[in-house]
Order: sequence, then C-alpha cells, then structure tokens
Amino acid sequence: MRAAPNRRPFDAGRAAYLTLNALLLTFLLLPIVIVLVFALNPTPYISFPPVGISLRWFEKFFGSAEFMNALWLSLWVASVVLVLSIVIGAACALALVRGNLPGRAVMTAFFMSPLMVPAILTGLALFQAYLLSGIGRPVWGLIAAHTLVAVPYVIRTTLAVLHNFDRRIEEAAAVLGASPMRVFFEVTLPLIRPGVFAGGVFAFIVSFDQFPVSLFLVVPKGETLPVVLFNYMKFDLDGAIAAASMVSILLALSVVLVLERLIGLKAYVKL
Amino acid sequence: MISRRKALRAGAGLAALATVGAPSILHAQTKTLKITTWGGKWGEVMKATVLPAFEKEFKCTVSADQAFPFLPKLQVSSKNDPIYDVLHANSNEQWNAVVEGLVMDKITAKEVPNIADVYPYAVSDKIVGVTIFTSAIGLGYRTDKGLTKPTSWKDLADPKLAGSRGGYLIPVNSLGQAHLMMLGKVYGKGLTDLDAAYKALEALKPIKLVDFTGQMEKMLLSGEVSMGVIHDSGVYRYEGPNMQPVDFASPSEGVLALEQVLNVTPGSKVKELAFAYIDYMLRPDVQKLLAEAVWYSPANKKVKLDAKYDAKLLTTPEKVASLIQPDWKWYNARREDIDARVTKILKG
Repeated sequence: MRAAPNRRPFDAGRAAYLTLNALLLTFLLLPIVIVLVFALNPTPYISFPPVGISLRWFEKFFGSAEFMNALWLSLWVASVVLVLSIVIGAACALALVRGNLPGRAVMTAFFMSPLMVPAILTGLALFQAYLLSGIGRPVWGLIAAHTLVAVPYVIRTTLAVLHNFDRRIEEAAAVLGASPMRVFFEVTLPLIRPGVFAGGVFAFIVSFDQFPVSLFLVVPKGETLPVVLFNYMKFDLDGAIAAASMVSILLALSVVLVLERLIGLKAYVKL
Repeated sequence: MISRRKALRAGAGLAALATVGAPSILHAQTKTLKITTWGGKWGEVMKATVLPAFEKEFKCTVSADQAFPFLPKLQVSSKNDPIYDVLHANSNEQWNAVVEGLVMDKITAKEVPNIADVYPYAVSDKIVGVTIFTSAIGLGYRTDKGLTKPTSWKDLADPKLAGSRGGYLIPVNSLGQAHLMMLGKVYGKGLTDLDAAYKALEALKPIKLVDFTGQMEKMLLSGEVSMGVIHDSGVYRYEGPNMQPVDFASPSEGVLALEQVLNVTPGSKVKELAFAYIDYMLRPDVQKLLAEAVWYSPANKKVKLDAKYDAKLLTTPEKVASLIQPDWKWYNARREDIDARVTKILKG
C-alpha cells in the first residue's frame, strides 16, 4: 500500500507574504522593463507594442560627445564623493558614538539635516553662497555639494553597525598589547566596514543620480548626466533618454555587485 | 634657510607685483561672453558652427549655458556681475526678467544695427529685447484619423476629440498660457477675457496634458493624441523618412507667436560684445542656417530661405501679419491667480 504524499497544509500567511513580495517586485521592476522596451524600440516615440528591436538609441547615446562627457563627469564626481563620504561619514559616526561629545543628539540631527531640507534648496543656497564668495562654480564645489547630501547615508549605516558593536573585542586586543592605531585598523575598521561601504554605495548612487543639487552648480561643458538628460528631454524626447537610463541602471547595479564581491554587503544585511 | 617672516615678506612682494601688473594682463585676456541657449538640434548647430565662427571673428570665448532654469540663476547672481551677459528666453520669461531689472528694457538699431532689418513684431511693444526667431503656435493634428484639417481654434473642442486632444500644464508651459489667452479671444472679447477663457478651457475636458512641447510632439507622432496645441517647428522638423501622418494647421483667428528673444543684462562687463552677438544672430546667413536647421521663422526680413522652408515658415509681411503676440506683462502680473484657477479647472 502506497503511503499518501506528505502534503503541506495551505498556509494563508505564507501565500499572502509571497504575493505581497511579488507585487512589490513587480512595482519596482516594471518601470525598468518599460524603459528597456522604449530603449530597444526603433521609433522616436513610445509605442506599444514595439515595432521591432534596434540598438539605434544606444548608438546615439554612446556616439554623442555631450552624453559621454556627462557620463564620465558623473562617474568621476560620484567616485570622488564615494571616497570623501566614506572618510567623513565614518569619522563622524565614530565621533558621535565614541566621542562622548556634549549635545550628541543635536549633532546627529545636524549631520542628518541635508536629508531633511529639499535638495533643490540646498543646491540654490550653495549656488548663491559660491557666487557671493566669488568662487564661481568649480567642479570641486559640485563635489562638495554632492558630498554634503551623501555623507548622512554613510553616517546612518555606520551608526547602525556601531550600535551593535561589541567593544569587548577591542578591549581584548588592547589587553593583548595592540596599540590604539592597530586596534582601529585591525579590529574596529574590519567590523564596521560593511556599514561604511553600504553607506558608500548609497553615496555613489545619490551622487551619480543627483539632479536637484547639480541643477544650479553645473557649468557649461561641465554638466552631469542627469542635468544633460533633463535638458535633452525638453527638446528631444526620444529613445536616447531610455538608453541613457538603462546605462545608468546597469552602472549603479555594477557598483553594487562589485562592492558585494569585494566586501560582502550581505554581512551588513545580517546586522 | 628661509624664515617664516622672510617667506611672508616675499609672498607679499609677489602679490603687490601681480596687482600692479594686473591691468595689462586683463587687457591681454580673451573676453568671455556668457550666454544662455537652447539644447536639442538648436544647441547642436550653435555649438558646432555658429558659436565657433563668432568666437573666431570676435576673438573671444563664449560660455553657453544650456542647463535650465536660467532665470533663477540670474536672479541669484549679482546685478553688477551677472552670471549671463545675454539671456536667450521666450518672451514671457524676458518680461519676468525686465520687471526685476535683470535685463534691458529696449535694444535699438544704434546698439544692434541689424535691428533695422527685422519685422516689426521682433521689436514691438510686446517684446523686451529683440526677437531673433519666432514659431507659430497653432494646431497639430493626425491626418490618418479621419479628421478634416482644422481651420479654427474652436475645432479643438470637437466632441469627437474627447480624450484624444492635447494641451499643456498651463502653470509651467508658455504654449499653454498663450493658448489660454487665445481661448479668451476666440470665445470672448479678447486675449484678456479670462472668464471666457476659463469657460472654454472647461469645455476642452477631457484633455491630455503635458509640460514640455517635446512630449506633445511625441504624443502626436505616436497617435496618443489626434489634435493638440503645438508650434509649427514641432511638427515640421519630423519631415523625411520618419515622418508620421501629422500636419500643422494655422487657425483662421491667427497663430500665436512663440518668440526666441535675446536680451542683454544691464550689469554685463562685456556689453559691446553682447550687442555684437545679438547683431551676429540677426545676420541673414546665420538666420538662414538656424531657421532651416530647426524650422524657426527668421526675424530678419532679408533672409531668403530654400523653397521648402519658405513655403511653410513666416517669411513674408502677409504671413507675419497672422501672428498674434500675447501681452506677457499683463499675463505675468496675474499669473498666480490664473495658475490657481486653471489648476482647479484641470484637476483630475
């Protein structure tokens, strides 16, 4: 006699959970699918169903000196912002947690304040400040502005790691004779690294996609990709915009994957 | 070994020398003209041909800003050292700028000699600065939807077009604002009859609204709308193998002017060069090049366009007579109230 198959009873909660996840994923990914369809469709306007598959918009994007200059500038600025944000953000987070500073809550709120002010106002205010101080709109001014809005992300993720940090590990290292510098580089830093670099990923993406702050701070022939795309859209709303969007999405994804390979962001997720 | 004091003294000496020598250095420097300009095909032609030729002829460099928004940047910069020397904008924005003292009231043939050759609309009392080109705002329509060519602005209200007519988010688009005034003229006592305009706007619902003219072009090309308010260049520029069954119609009540206006900032340090640039942009050869590249009607009467452009653009006094120029000073003064009212009408 064959035994009855061991069927799992229907779990309504699990089904609801999976359905919700599927809906969320669809909501997040559907716009990307639409952008991809538009980027591959040869017509110079959005048409559905697509009339064919073509790489003409990607050719236009990669063949345009204006788009390429903007893409490289955006990548370069985002890379510098990534490094600066990591250094500044991690140092601030350590100071806030370990520094025994007076008014720590106020200082934390101050460091987070760039996230609370509308970015367009931050851009306009910095633009005015730069002009009034006579420095114009140099590229380092743009980098400083991006860093300003990117640092809070690094601070936030690093603070999250530091709050779960077991300081007895550092004390053990010190008891065994390690200098404070050695403790920092060989114990503290490796343990907070996932948080710092996760914040760094956010910083890179925030800078690379930054539009409102850049709007006032870019100069002629020195425009970032989001600004160039916005201005292009006002006159030519064709598939080159979709191709540029796909390239941006793939670049951001690449950065996340590379960092995951290098430092293992999953470790941060577990925290 | 050099002491700190000696180093400071040497530095101060060098700084003093630099200050004394500065005027001659500045004199030898190439002047830079800071302008605003459009993107798209216009920007391509400007950067590839027009601006390099100007730089060569006038031995200067041109810093051309294509990144909107221009007016807030000008507002924030010092009036004595403005961020731009020449502001290229549509007429409504120039009127906003002149009210704040950011651009000059009037430019004459004394400063820009080629003004002597422009059509009267280019320097009319509805313009601050100088119009270098204009487009005609009328109706774009699909020729494959069984529609007859529109002859009146009222044709946009045809019940058959419910849901497939196109307009603009009036608070952010000057074509939408101009169309609203035209509704006052067509259905009421004139361009300033807002009550009639609001009533006519209500009757256009359901209507698909966009904020950029580029979006309207694409909606017409894709057939998402069958008829919409658009400027002639937004239809004509898609000629050739990719041309869709779309055409432009000039309503009998007249077409609205969408002027490309140049103006100089009062605080510009290179005012002569700024005037020279405007004069250069009004030269017949430059006008022809740009007009044929982007399908804009040239403001200079002496420009001779090739036949296919001449047939469609406003290149004779008779054709130019169909242009209606809105009073943007009047409109801008009421803008907040108008924005609130039209938003309420078009909500949802």
